[in-house]
Amino acid sequence: MSEKLEQLDQVFVGLVKKSWQYHNEVIRNTYLDDMLVGAVIASTVEIGYSLIDLNSDGQNHYLRFEHLPTKVRVIFRLKNLAEDLLTAKVLGRHAQVIIGYGIMTPNFSSIWQTLKAEIKSSFLDTSEPGIITCDADITAGYIYAQVTLILNLDDYFKANFQIDQTLLQQHIQATLHSLEKYLRGRLQ
Amino acid sequence: MFSFLSNFKHKQEMRESKDEIMIGELVLAMHHLGAPTIRLYADSGQQYISFKLVSDPILNSVTIILDRKTGGSALGEMLVGNKAVLTVQAEVKNYVADPDDLLQMYRTDLQNIFRVPLLGDIRLDHQLNSVMATKKLIIDIDQFIFSHENRLRLHRLLTNTLAELREALRKYKKTN
Repeated sequence: MSEKLEQLDQVFVGLVKKSWQYHNEVIRNTYLDDMLVGAVIASTVEIGYSLIDLNSDGQNHYLRFEHLPTKVRVIFRLKNLAEDLLTAKVLGRHAQVIIGYGIMTPNFSSIWQTLKAEIKSSFLDTSEPGIITCDADITAGYIYAQVTLILNLDDYFKANFQIDQTLLQQHIQATLHSLEKYLRGRLQ
Repeated sequence: MFSFLSNFKHKQEMRESKDEIMIGELVLAMHHLGAPTIRLYADSGQQYISFKLVSDPILNSVTIILDRKTGGSALGEMLVGNKAVLTVQAEVKNYVADPDDLLQMYRTDLQNIFRVPLLGDIRLDHQLNSVMATKKLIIDIDQFIFSHENRLRLHRLLTNTLAELREALRKYKKTN
């Protein structure tokens, strides 16, 4: 009789263990959103920027950094495109990331008017990836070049919470380099 | 032309961003300690960040809460600096399911935590299969940001605090 009860205990233990496995899979997918935010913060602070602003509307996460000696600013909008496990498994874990590179400009108004006048077409779909557009933070006097990218999160986030930070950092640096080149070229 | 720049709050001075700068440094320091961010919540007064301690033999996760108390105004910063309460809460998670083991754990460890929740300046608490140890530190944010030396100081502070919390929780970790 006690052997039978012991066996039932073991069946229960097995059920709980399996439940933890399933639960952890869902939890890991839920964490991915904030893991992306954390990994972007760590990468960008590591390359010399200071985080000066962070907020979220639940779906989109906004980060703003400043390189304090040069006052150059970098902005991110991060959006996980596969928040539920089903989408993640079927379509992959993708995120839409907008990265902007901003420079404080002394003759801000005239430059911004010139840049703005160049965009004549209202049919330009700026949400397409890879299109570099210009934007302005009028209050702070910054002009930004920004681009939308779709990133495969599985490239950076491996099993057991391992992160390929080197790859993420390289991708951020490469994007910032291109945006800087474009923006400085346009402002000359 | 689309713009998400309006989603950022306009801060008049760098002084107002010091808690965010500190958060950036905390995230980087924890990344260097092998702990990726898993939860992040921020409002104007407090910031909560949870980290997964991936290869720690005892601790499962740690949550850091930064609550800035002073320095919101130029006068306040001049008089008392940028003081904040840094709460560090480490968690041990036990995946114990056997009813006999659960009962044993409840009768010994958890009842002891009810009786003596304080261990020095560390507070112990438990929730279901987790036991938590919490330590509160009063810090001056300026001592941990803006330079490489300050970055190293923050790294040391976190390493030492986690070591203290790990020792306080060591006896509550059960082999699964």
